[in-house]
Amino acid sequence: MKSRKIGLHQFMAVPAFALYAVFFIYPLLKGIGLCFTDWDGIKAAHFVGLRNFIDFFHDQRALSDIRTTVLFTLGSAPLLNIVGLVYALLMNSEFRGKSIARMCIYMPAIISPLIMGYIWYFLLQPGRGFLYHFFDGLGHPEWFGNWMGNYKSALLVIVLVNVWQYAGMTMVIYLAGLQGISRDLYEAARIDGARWVDGFLHVTLPLLGPSIRINVITNIIGSLSVFDIVMSLTGGGPGYQTETLSIYIMRMCYGSKTGYSVAVAIILFLIVLIPVAASSWLMRKKEED
Amino acid sequence: MTFRIMNEGKGMDIEMKKILCGLRYLIIIMISLLCLAPFGILLILALNTPRRNFYEGNMFVPDFYFQNFPDGWKQSQIGHAMLNSGLITAGAILLIVILGAMAGYAVARCKNKFNQTVYLIFLCCMMVPGIINTVPLYGLMIRLHAVNTLWGMTCVCATLAIPQAVFVFTGFIRALPMELEEAAVIDGCSQMQVFWKIILPLLKPSVSAVVILNGFGIWNNYAQAAFFLQDRAKHNVPQALSIYFQQFAGARWNIMAATAVIAIVPVVIVFLLFQKNLMRGLTDGALKG
Repeated sequence: MKSRKIGLHQFMAVPAFALYAVFFIYPLLKGIGLCFTDWDGIKAAHFVGLRNFIDFFHDQRALSDIRTTVLFTLGSAPLLNIVGLVYALLMNSEFRGKSIARMCIYMPAIISPLIMGYIWYFLLQPGRGFLYHFFDGLGHPEWFGNWMGNYKSALLVIVLVNVWQYAGMTMVIYLAGLQGISRDLYEAARIDGARWVDGFLHVTLPLLGPSIRINVITNIIGSLSVFDIVMSLTGGGPGYQTETLSIYIMRMCYGSKTGYSVAVAIILFLIVLIPVAASSWLMRKKEED
Repeated sequence: MTFRIMNEGKGMDIEMKKILCGLRYLIIIMISLLCLAPFGILLILALNTPRRNFYEGNMFVPDFYFQNFPDGWKQSQIGHAMLNSGLITAGAILLIVILGAMAGYAVARCKNKFNQTVYLIFLCCMMVPGIINTVPLYGLMIRLHAVNTLWGMTCVCATLAIPQAVFVFTGFIRALPMELEEAAVIDGCSQMQVFWKIILPLLKPSVSAVVILNGFGIWNNYAQAAFFLQDRAKHNVPQALSIYFQQFAGARWNIMAATAVIAIVPVVIVFLLFQKNLMRGLTDGALKG
């Protein structure tokens, strides 16, 4: 090897990092400082110590937002992965119309969650929505209830709509992973007398490791910071019951409690960090074994 | 049961296989229909006359009243919002691809301390949801006079996507053989020229993966737009739709649906153009590493 001069190419990561530092890292660090103040977005900020955090844990609405956000994630992240994996397994072989089916399943993911929310709101409207008339036509209008007016069912609807919309995205990543697994491995397993379940547990799952990691982590992050779909489906209602932390942050920021909303953002970050770090550590350990 | 065909299990006779194959087709068709159904309903709604109640007569046959489209187009000024969304998306994608690929090249090929640290920071920050730094970012954006500007929103959207793009490009470039670059250097190319003339053209599949994974999200961005694009003239598509829809309070579904259809059309077209490359982009190295 000839000795290389220090070339400009060594610094090619600088522009990306500069953009990132200005618009992400600097505000993030700044936010850590702001969360201890009573800043309202305009006037000078005063240091108030841990006041914002204490207020947060005394606010019933905030605590209910945490519960909603966590419940939503517990429903949405596992379901997205299971449904996405099942779709991918169904689609992982050659058949006619495969790319069309894949397209159909991915399609909901490209549409604005806001528009999706409105479409589903129309379907689910009590007394006059599409599903009401559908059940009415079947002669069983009582099968349809006011699903959006009740906390439990509204949350369930939000979870299911979210899964319906983004399962295609998880599917595509699992499909990419499945296509990297050599057919010979299944062939070998079959010759050794393994059933489908054995092949799935001992060949497919371990080799899907990287795809599972990407999907689980992005789904946890996405679910814990869910915003649009809740905004358009329920707007946080009934009352503030289905409001999530992201929506709370935005509303507090508009309500000129900027310092407080930064504190809530930091709490959300900690809530995201724990499961992400735990699952990433667990999965890495599993892969090393 | 249906999955078992994948293994072509021992002792399963041909009859059984055929039934299972048919069953799988049926399931895939049902899933695809389930994913497309809301679009069909949206289209039916968009073609009804203003006077018609949705549930009158046969709800699957619309009135084919096309006047909704020009009406919705004019009243909502969705065209202007689409132009804004288009400019933001194009600008952000350009930034993401060029800066991301440059950084990916530096990280993959020049293993100095700075590049490794930058990569590590990107990996860690991938776990931070965008909403968390949005509030402190708001303060910065005011000082930069970037609130309610398209360039400000472009930078914000690009920043949020950069870590993932660097991750994808780094993985892809690492999987490329070194020989090509070495040959080019021997022929007298500088490392910078190698990047622009050899690496960048080779990145095509991962570029389409990055475009699909991020482009629609940027076009549909609502969480950040709610903060940074409040001015009516600078609204992007979700902002414009949400403001426009709020004034009807669910009363005029025909015109709301028609406007939503207009907003969806360009997204679907771009998706159909890119979707062939999506799977290749994901399987060819994007997910390795």
